[in-house]
Amino acid sequence: MNATGIKFGLGLYTALFIVFLYGPLAVLAILSFQTGPEGGPQFPIIEWSTYWYKHLFGLTPPSRIAPLPIEQALVRSLTLAVMTMIVSTVLGVTAAQAFRKKFRGSGVVFYLIVLGMMVPGVLVGLGMALVANTLGIDRHWWGTAFVLHVVYTFPFAFLVMLAIFNRFDPSVEEAAWSLGVTPGRTFRKITFPLIFPGVLSAMLFAFTLSYDEFSRTLFASGRDLTLPLAIYGTFSVEVHPNVFAFGVLTTLFSFALLGTYAVLMGLSVRRAKRFAIQEEA
Amino acid sequence: MSSVLQLKNVRKAFAGVPALAGIDAALADNSYISLLGPSGSGKTTLLRVIAGFEQPDGGEILFAGRRIDGVPPHERGIGFVFQNFALFPHLSVAQNIAFGLENRAIDPVTDGRIVAARVRDMIGLVGLSGLEDRAITQISGGQKQRVALARTLVTEPSMVLLDEPLGALDANLRTRMRGELRTIRERCGVTFLHVTGSETEALAMGDTVLVLDRGRIAQSADAGTLYSRPASADVARFLNCYNIFPGEIAGESFVSPVGALALGGLTQASGKPGYAIRYDRVSIRPRDAAPAGDEVRIEGSFVASEYSGAAVNSFFTLDDGRVFEVETHLSHAAPEAYEERGRYALVWKREDALVFA
Repeated sequence: MNATGIKFGLGLYTALFIVFLYGPLAVLAILSFQTGPEGGPQFPIIEWSTYWYKHLFGLTPPSRIAPLPIEQALVRSLTLAVMTMIVSTVLGVTAAQAFRKKFRGSGVVFYLIVLGMMVPGVLVGLGMALVANTLGIDRHWWGTAFVLHVVYTFPFAFLVMLAIFNRFDPSVEEAAWSLGVTPGRTFRKITFPLIFPGVLSAMLFAFTLSYDEFSRTLFASGRDLTLPLAIYGTFSVEVHPNVFAFGVLTTLFSFALLGTYAVLMGLSVRRAKRFAIQEEA
Repeated sequence: MSSVLQLKNVRKAFAGVPALAGIDAALADNSYISLLGPSGSGKTTLLRVIAGFEQPDGGEILFAGRRIDGVPPHERGIGFVFQNFALFPHLSVAQNIAFGLENRAIDPVTDGRIVAARVRDMIGLVGLSGLEDRAITQISGGQKQRVALARTLVTEPSMVLLDEPLGALDANLRTRMRGELRTIRERCGVTFLHVTGSETEALAMGDTVLVLDRGRIAQSADAGTLYSRPASADVARFLNCYNIFPGEIAGESFVSPVGALALGGLTQASGKPGYAIRYDRVSIRPRDAAPAGDEVRIEGSFVASEYSGAAVNSFFTLDDGRVFEVETHLSHAAPEAYEERGRYALVWKREDALVFA
């Protein structure tokens, strides 16, 4: 095959990839603009409207379709994701820092940590529920479910940080020590700023994984539902485009999160850029 | 002169392989010491042990009279300049230099004006004026070298370890930085321990040169003594200016693979027999010229020569296949043309040879 052919083939492949990646999202976004309350979650679009978005915020006249019971669930999920993000990132950074030196049993500890992301979520969730019942612990999203979220997201943060430390030149730390700076202060002033982009990635991983975690939370969260559970709960009655509208909003929120990530990343290299501009001037 | 650093039987092994096999040395205060060794001789390990980045398996390290093995690096007060400079990439030139002053555990300088003044003085001393606010990604290799040096010197250590500090620079810059390093050291009055694999650098820089071989100090001497009186055949080999023959002494001559070489000069005890003659002590003569009574003569076939401006180095193969090098200085003579594969007599005075028994 000639070069043009290869290019065409690869182009087609990429196009298909993108269609399958974003197709569902596009369909969801289109259907969320279906008219309401009589329009259903299917084509054709009877009439374009923002009815379901208004419905989501309780801005429509009362109808037979109940508003999504997600308000509290959203707050819970966000709180849980932030808690998980903080704890997992701290654990991930410190654990990866510990793994920079070989220690006895480091291989076993490594697999024990990584196990948290490997084991099937439903089983862990069920197991946690059983353990909680046996020990007489109440199941809560901020208790049992939180622990499972940390167990699940900690390995991701850990692996990200491990990769970061792999490329980290330890001689800058030694240089700081030889200047009379304690290891603790060296970590704060030298190591942490240099690994900060990695820490941001670890935080992003932990947050997003926790935010839409379903299977572990299902059995472990107890009475109060998190957002994924609450949305799933609405499916069992009847699906209306208000779920799609909510999906679009969540996606926008994720984009905002990514945007924040990009801005923070940009800030951490801003200094170098500023000097570069000075250089040219 | 009092010694600032003393090493007593310092040992270190990695996974059973000894890197330092009992180092004994005393480094004089306010001096420039170069540590010469081939790669794998343990010179970087020794430096890292002194700095505290590695723990020795045994022995004692005394710094300014205080035992420091077991003391963490940040409490030793010994500066370290890395081969790759190890500058803090997220800080500017001035911030890099100020870092130690502001952040050290013992006696940190909290007054911003004092820090700024001392940083400014140091920047002037190492010749970095005008680059204070540059990012370290925006300066050249030689400038990075100066920042690394300034960052260490501003904290006023009584000793600075330099791990192949000129290794990352190009040849021109390396020569210039040699002189600057010496000047800067003299102005600060600290002891520099400069590790290098280059014999010319070691000889040019060091008031004292330590030669490290297989984890031991093979010789400690000033540059002149080291060059003209290496303590063993191995040391002579690192100096890269001696033709060395193995063999042994038998009566009045040294029996080598190229024949018996008459003795006449100094014979030193060194544990391993060897016969060394400096490249520039050998003269090249036509094959039929008769040697004088006090001369040693061997034969070799001319291979090639290398012209380096002030001297020309000619290479010969001897009868046992070994390469023999002759350095002829051109201050008084034009380079002679030798015939390729031609046989020539290689002649030197008996007393110029170094014999190790």
